[in-house]
Amino acid sequence: MYPSNVIEALDSGHWIAVMTGYLVHLAVIAAYMYGLEAFKGQNLIQICLNSGKLIAAALLLPTAAYLTIAAITTVRAYSEIITLVFLSNTPLWSIMLLLVAIAGYLASLGLEAIFRTGVMLAVLFIPPLLFIVCTSFKNVDWHYLLPLADRESATLSFVAKRPFLESLFAFAGGFLFLGFVQPALAYKRKRVLQASMLLVPMFLLSVYVPLLTFGRQTASRFQFPYIMAIDTIDMRWIMFERINLFFLLSVVTFVTLFLSLLLWKVSRIVSLNKLDGKLSKFRVPAVAVLAGAIFIVCLQIPDWERVSELMWWNTYLRLYIIVVIPAAVLVLGIRRRRKVGLHGMER
Amino acid sequence: MAIIDQVSERFKEDADYICKRTKLGEVPATVMALGSLIDMPRTMLHIGLQTRQSVNPEQLADALAGGIGETLISPDADQLAAHLTAGRIIAAFEGSDIHISIAPAPKTLTRSIEAPLTENVLSGSVSAFNEDIDSNLGMLRKQVVSERLRALSYQVGSDQRKRISVIYLEHRVNRRLLDAIVRKIESRLELDVTSLQSLNGLLGLSKWSIVTRLNSTELPQQAASAMEKGKAVILVDRYPFAFIVPSLLWDMFDVENDRNYPISLMYSIRLLRIIGVLVNFIFPGLYVALVSVNPDVLRIEMALSVAASRIDVPYPAFVETLILLIILELILEASVRLPKSIGPTITMVGGIILGQAVVSAKLVSNLLIIILAATTIASFTVAGFQNAISIRVFKYIILILSAVFGVFGLLSGLVIVCGYLASVTSFGIPYLHMARARDDAHG
Repeated sequence: MYPSNVIEALDSGHWIAVMTGYLVHLAVIAAYMYGLEAFKGQNLIQICLNSGKLIAAALLLPTAAYLTIAAITTVRAYSEIITLVFLSNTPLWSIMLLLVAIAGYLASLGLEAIFRTGVMLAVLFIPPLLFIVCTSFKNVDWHYLLPLADRESATLSFVAKRPFLESLFAFAGGFLFLGFVQPALAYKRKRVLQASMLLVPMFLLSVYVPLLTFGRQTASRFQFPYIMAIDTIDMRWIMFERINLFFLLSVVTFVTLFLSLLLWKVSRIVSLNKLDGKLSKFRVPAVAVLAGAIFIVCLQIPDWERVSELMWWNTYLRLYIIVVIPAAVLVLGIRRRRKVGLHGMER
Repeated sequence: MAIIDQVSERFKEDADYICKRTKLGEVPATVMALGSLIDMPRTMLHIGLQTRQSVNPEQLADALAGGIGETLISPDADQLAAHLTAGRIIAAFEGSDIHISIAPAPKTLTRSIEAPLTENVLSGSVSAFNEDIDSNLGMLRKQVVSERLRALSYQVGSDQRKRISVIYLEHRVNRRLLDAIVRKIESRLELDVTSLQSLNGLLGLSKWSIVTRLNSTELPQQAASAMEKGKAVILVDRYPFAFIVPSLLWDMFDVENDRNYPISLMYSIRLLRIIGVLVNFIFPGLYVALVSVNPDVLRIEMALSVAASRIDVPYPAFVETLILLIILELILEASVRLPKSIGPTITMVGGIILGQAVVSAKLVSNLLIIILAATTIASFTVAGFQNAISIRVFKYIILILSAVFGVFGLLSGLVIVCGYLASVTSFGIPYLHMARARDDAHG
């Protein structure tokens, strides 16, 4: 979905779109983390609650709504993709049920378990993914790379248009969780920024491989250009016919992980961080109820058109979140630094 | 004397209870013991050697106190009975309150140090732990010749008393882990420990966990290397195993004896074990997924040959796989129970005749037999019998999911298994912990 949005946004010079999106992401993350660092040991929910009810409502409610809608669209979109690509005989609801159930199970295990599962899945699935990405270069025609830029892309006039704004979804979901992990885990700001640089080649690849394989006109017709590009590869020495299956499924496992993180975040926000200690036995039912609600909503969405609409509505929320939350956290962080001083001493 | 009569009353139905009047040194005494636990002639000889000069009970107590005797002043019948069941001799004297509990020459009731039964060693020491906790502790001390080896000992149980030892290296052990273990044991000293489940209960670990939290080993060198890494070792009396706390995922693949090979060979063998685990998880599910749900994934030549091998098989691939897996599990379980004389015969019947006949009768395809044989063999490449059982359980989850959802179900099953493994912790240390166990877990 990301490549199709970017390819649709421009006629050429797509790398400018990718870099713009990435720079937005970088700025957002840097501001967010700078603000968070002032509040040692508190997560986003606690920060918002401590700053007053109005601020808390203004920040947390849209976040919860955005995350929930993001979860719904993710589940529905990926179940549709799975049905399209290889499981045509399985009913849609059962695929959605499996996705939601696994994500719910992982979310009920807690944040540390989610992260450790992420590491294990990375070890298991990144080698095949890398292999497929390398082989996806088999059918490229490098002439499609030119022209490198044109007037539309150079003046950044594509930014206000719908496809580019929709493409920001790929960046937005990623940074919010950084505010939720304290106080359980510690991370270094620099490491996060360095890790985010890994995103750049991945996004460039996902946009350029279909472009180079098909050319812009053809590629813009596909709903999922990267998958179609992999579909064209024919390798005789592997016993599998369609390796895009494995690519897609590896991606889906990471999507399941992402979903579980979303569910966990929403359950934390909704419970207002209060489900610790005595009430911690309500954690699993809370996640289960949330997962069930998301599943029921997904059942009501009949086709891809509605999914696209939902994603467009979510884009407004997403823009709000990308702009407001890091700014608010930054401001709150600066205020707190002034009040409390860098070493925690009251002035 | 009242106490002697009370004790004799307790043991009056026991054929091995000995109570007789004799002379220790120059002192007439009543000697009580359980004859099945001690070697009476040698014991009397030793006592006689120590007490030749004594003329009264106090001198006797003094003579024995420095060596094999322990003086009890005015004990009650319960105490004496406890000493008797622990295997000691009680000497009582007329007209005196002094009772002496003497350590006897015991009967040999434990087998000698032999090769391990559940682990095979190719190039390393072959002495294994046996049932006596003291010889196990001695073997550990011989393996780790260090003055920093500490051995804490507890008596647990109210119905059956058992000795438990917690052994660690004091400069290496993870302190939080050790404190948690000690606290748990000391708060539950009245729990009986008769099996691994009850040991898990004593330590506060869940009995329902599919993966084992106590890594059991029969080899002292394995226990020693675990202690070097900061783990604690628990010895239970009458159990020929050392239990290493905590058990980690990497323990499935890391066997101390690997270090006796060159490093490149060691890494290759470990990689082989990891491949074995993945084969065990993936192959049955992959077969069912590729045959019944997603046949278009295979190349056309392979798909045709797989289909050809399944001609005349009357039921779907999932049922076929499940039937054969259950038969294999039955064979495995039966081969554990069989006496040594019949064992090889029945294994041949199960393996060759069942395998051959079931294919000729067209009840299963021969490709499936190959796959499941590879799977079963692969499941035993991991270290530790308990770990092999755990991964055998996981493959069924993946099999069922892939029968319903195809390759998507296979990968979802892997995600579920990864998620479950990621959520297991013992004493705050997660199952997937990779660094040295002495540091705090920070994700």
